[in-house]
Amino acid sequence: MSTQQKLPTDVVIVEGVRTPFAKSGTKLKTVHAAQLGQAALKELIARTNLNVDLVDEVIIGNTGSPSDAVNIARVVALNSGIPQKTSAVTVHRNCASALESITSGYERIKSGTMEMVIAGGTENMSQMPLLMPPAITSIIERLGSAKTGGAKISALWDWFKADLSQIKEMATTAPLQKTKYKPIITLAEGLTDPFVGMNMGMTAEVIAKEFNISRREQDEYALKSHQKAIAAKAKLAEELTPFYLPPNYTETITEDSGPREGQTIEALTKLKPFFDKNTGSITAGNSCPITDGAAMVLLMSRAKADALGYKPIARIRGYAFAGLEPERMGMGPAYSTPIALKRAGITMKDVGLVELNEAFAAQVMANQKAFDSDAFGQKIGLPGKIGELRTDILNVNGGAIALGHPVGATGTRLVLTLMKEMRRRNIEFGLATLCIGGGQGGSIIIENEG
Amino acid sequence: MSAILVSNQKIGASEITVLTFDLPGEKVNKLSTPVMTELKDHLEKIKTSGTAFVIFKSAKPKIFIAGADIEEIQKLTTKEQVETAVKQGQDIFNMIEDLPMPTMALINGACAGGGCELILSCDYRIATEDSSTRIGLPETQLGILPGFGGSIRLPRVVGLQASLDVILAGKLLNAKKAQKIGLVDYVVHSNLIESFAASQIEKMIKDGSKKRRKKFQPKGLVNKLLEGIFKGVVFSKAKEGVMKATKGHYPAPLAALEVVKKTYGMSDRTKALEIEREHFKVLALTDVSKNLIHVFYLTEMVKKQSGVANALVKGKPVKHLGVLGAGTMGGGIAYVAADKGIDVRVKDISYEANAKALKHARDLWAKLAKKKVIDNYQFTQKMSLVSTTVDFSGFKNIDVTVEAIVEMMDVKQKVIAQTAAEMRNDAIIVTNTSSLSVTEMSKGHPRPEFFAGMHFFSPVHKMPLVEVIRGSASSDETIATVFELAKKMGKMPVVVKDGPGFLVNRLLLPYMAEAAFLLAEGMSVETVDKAFVYKFGMPMGPFELMDSVGIDVCVKVLNIFKKAFSDRVEMPPLMEKLEKNKTRLGQKTNLGFYKYENGRKTEVDQSIYAELGLSSPTNPLSEEECRERCVFAMVNEAALALDQDKIVETPNEVDLAMIMGTGFPPFRGGLLKYADSVGADYIVQRLEKYSTERKANRLKPTSKMKERAQAKAKFYN
Repeated sequence: MSTQQKLPTDVVIVEGVRTPFAKSGTKLKTVHAAQLGQAALKELIARTNLNVDLVDEVIIGNTGSPSDAVNIARVVALNSGIPQKTSAVTVHRNCASALESITSGYERIKSGTMEMVIAGGTENMSQMPLLMPPAITSIIERLGSAKTGGAKISALWDWFKADLSQIKEMATTAPLQKTKYKPIITLAEGLTDPFVGMNMGMTAEVIAKEFNISRREQDEYALKSHQKAIAAKAKLAEELTPFYLPPNYTETITEDSGPREGQTIEALTKLKPFFDKNTGSITAGNSCPITDGAAMVLLMSRAKADALGYKPIARIRGYAFAGLEPERMGMGPAYSTPIALKRAGITMKDVGLVELNEAFAAQVMANQKAFDSDAFGQKIGLPGKIGELRTDILNVNGGAIALGHPVGATGTRLVLTLMKEMRRRNIEFGLATLCIGGGQGGSIIIENEG
Repeated sequence: MSAILVSNQKIGASEITVLTFDLPGEKVNKLSTPVMTELKDHLEKIKTSGTAFVIFKSAKPKIFIAGADIEEIQKLTTKEQVETAVKQGQDIFNMIEDLPMPTMALINGACAGGGCELILSCDYRIATEDSSTRIGLPETQLGILPGFGGSIRLPRVVGLQASLDVILAGKLLNAKKAQKIGLVDYVVHSNLIESFAASQIEKMIKDGSKKRRKKFQPKGLVNKLLEGIFKGVVFSKAKEGVMKATKGHYPAPLAALEVVKKTYGMSDRTKALEIEREHFKVLALTDVSKNLIHVFYLTEMVKKQSGVANALVKGKPVKHLGVLGAGTMGGGIAYVAADKGIDVRVKDISYEANAKALKHARDLWAKLAKKKVIDNYQFTQKMSLVSTTVDFSGFKNIDVTVEAIVEMMDVKQKVIAQTAAEMRNDAIIVTNTSSLSVTEMSKGHPRPEFFAGMHFFSPVHKMPLVEVIRGSASSDETIATVFELAKKMGKMPVVVKDGPGFLVNRLLLPYMAEAAFLLAEGMSVETVDKAFVYKFGMPMGPFELMDSVGIDVCVKVLNIFKKAFSDRVEMPPLMEKLEKNKTRLGQKTNLGFYKYENGRKTEVDQSIYAELGLSSPTNPLSEEECRERCVFAMVNEAALALDQDKIVETPNEVDLAMIMGTGFPPFRGGLLKYADSVGADYIVQRLEKYSTERKANRLKPTSKMKERAQAKAKFYN
């Protein structure tokens, strides 16, 4: 059942490349997301010797929406040498924005609308801005529209008072606590579910507790992620293009900064729970760090790839997005994967390699349990369990806990890492899947093209 | 045929007159004598026509009036001729100023020299915001000054400070800048200029406003003082600036300054114009002016050339450029190409090397951004065009690759073969070698017709010359492509034949070597360098030049010459000595004849004499001898390169190459113009003398030089 004839209308992935990922606030903090995207895209074009005139569209995932590049896909495209005639669109499905770029490209090509699409994602989480709260913006508005000197002075005086209140609040309240005058931390807001008001970490706490995943298990998982990523350095280098760090270029970043060579279980155990201080088990060590980076892949119809003499790496067999309770968003993969498998016409047994985004160690392990549970399968309307998600085929080169999770770019990174490893191991089918803040899961099934 | 169309037009109830410049059969409008005579006839009629308003405009796309006819200026040989020509121009522009009805110029496109002087004699000026609109007075660049009243009227209209900026530098302003200084009253879109002008004129006629003689009103106290009682400060500052830039070799800006100084605020127009005319007369007949016009024509010549004789051969467009080697040359080439919108991919063997090229380019653009020459968006766009690699990824997309790696024939041949295999079959590879044989190197290329030399000069972003070297197998299409590419990169290409040192280095090396001999004979570094900079007008003296080229490079090239021209090339022993001591190689080691700090020259290193085993310099030779030995050594070699080896076809190319590649003083018109001015027989006679007195075989006149002396033949006929 799993074999499928090769058709000219198949959507294939020809090549992919990404920048190194760096923990937010470190090496890439001054580099605009558009520049990160450009570095990856220019290298993709070079590695494929692509005739950019043939690109029908550039689709790029991004969640931060930098205010000076609101349709960042267009900025990345033009600065990468994509012609002005070529359209570009930015897509946003939170943590799956870059997966959305691939599935959007897939649909455009599958339908015959387009023949060649560049899909990718870019994110600089270091540069997510602080916003002025309404209590201050209203004063600034008053100042702007003040007609008389008196009105101006009154507004300025109020602004001054508001600033004093702000300083006082900064000094006396918890860093993440929202107050009237403190700036709004958009990064924190972005990581808070807008429907139930729960921080992403708290949603992981919910899952950890419901699935009985101990702190020790989580820390051991996290340690493994680092160890696997360190061991896979040479492999990961194949999907990377070095990033020359402006303005002085004294440093060239050639590898992901996240994986820790000397990571130990002791160090992980020492960390305090970050979200639920008393009974929690989720720490900064067993969650993924916020991260900066970009990744791009080149999609074509098989007909186009053949005509141009490209040898694809993988064929896209099917994908699915599915929704669930926002407070259990981490379980998303267990919801979207069975649908994607069905659409691809295969079962979990056929899948030889999996990239499941490591938002939190607890969330990955809970998914493993759910995949292997008849009860869970029945709960979501299947006759039985989805199928075992074997540890030996899961995130074999490490995952986001070590490598990081630049929200808008991770989807592409998963597919890129997956397809390159499938080729190395000669695996027929691979699954890339991730949980999505807001309560969704996304999955894509790809097939090795040899 | 008429060059000026006169038509009448109704605006409201009034009838106005429109003079449209449209020189038949030409792309540009020029104010030649026939055009000026025609203008005069029209003005005489308009004066008494009773028309309500007069408009001056052009029918040429992107050109208003490009200026006076330079050919006519070049042909003026006597004071009387100049007097007549300039007086006539002044009188005609006075007629415009004196018309009883108001006048307005509508400027779209280039408005330079005489064109700018014409609009200055109008009452009102409106320009389009089109990028082709460039207004200014470039006369000083040609060794003359604005002579049709421009030196008088511009300061009146835009004030002292702004006018001196325009006149002394001879640069053209875009519309925005012209409006800012008050040279034009309005700037509008080119589609709107006519209707906007009509509405303005209608309003003016209705309001009964008549003539105006715009007078600059300084804003702010400081400006009021500087334009008024402290104007002396402005003049002395301006003079200082000119002297610093020209070292006094260029009389035109100084004369222009003098004219403005004498006439600023003068109410007697006749007298002011007479002063302008007097100074113009002196300048127009100087050799400097004739030489600068010669150089102007040389650059115009290149614009029209394609690099090959066959007019049917066209160069292929180059969108993607590869650069092998991320050193100073590679980085500079990448910068220059990307600056002009070409996508560049630099390849070197390590990230560290590539990073240097990125930094080189970024620093140069950052400087421009800081000076607001480019904005931050342009900065990002330009920077985005440069990418790097350590493998050959992306090379199938590249149209031309410039090789700028280590100067070793076998390495280069190997890398060229490797690169050719990674590129398309129709792609071109060029070498930036300064000394190795292009023909020999082309043996590394599987298709040598796609191979040539493209020799840039250091620093690449500053030196305009590119020698396009034709190897024995290079195809016409390859040469035309490289020639066009050089122009697209904003450079001045000169096609040269393959041969040791090609053209410029073949002439320059004997010059530098001679300086080294002078040092050995007791001259000091500063005496020789100063003589060349301040007396002769070179941008740097021979010792500083050697430091900048690198003493090791000089020795290497000299050795190649010694092999090729064993009859006449001598290696100065002290250069070999310096080369062996690897710590004193010039700017790159921060120590050469001079000391350097952060790449900047600080002072002559006085310890060099002792290190070379020389006693303290006593400067026993005259400056004349120093100058003549070095310069005549170049002329001597040029005679062979031109007449015997035919490295280039004409003296034009020699002069253009020397000016653009070495900064040979443009006011001297180039090396061979200069040689003509002193005479071949004199040069031969001096060379004989020096070769005997100094026992210097290398200075013996070459056969071709002697032939010229005997025939009393000039290089230029």
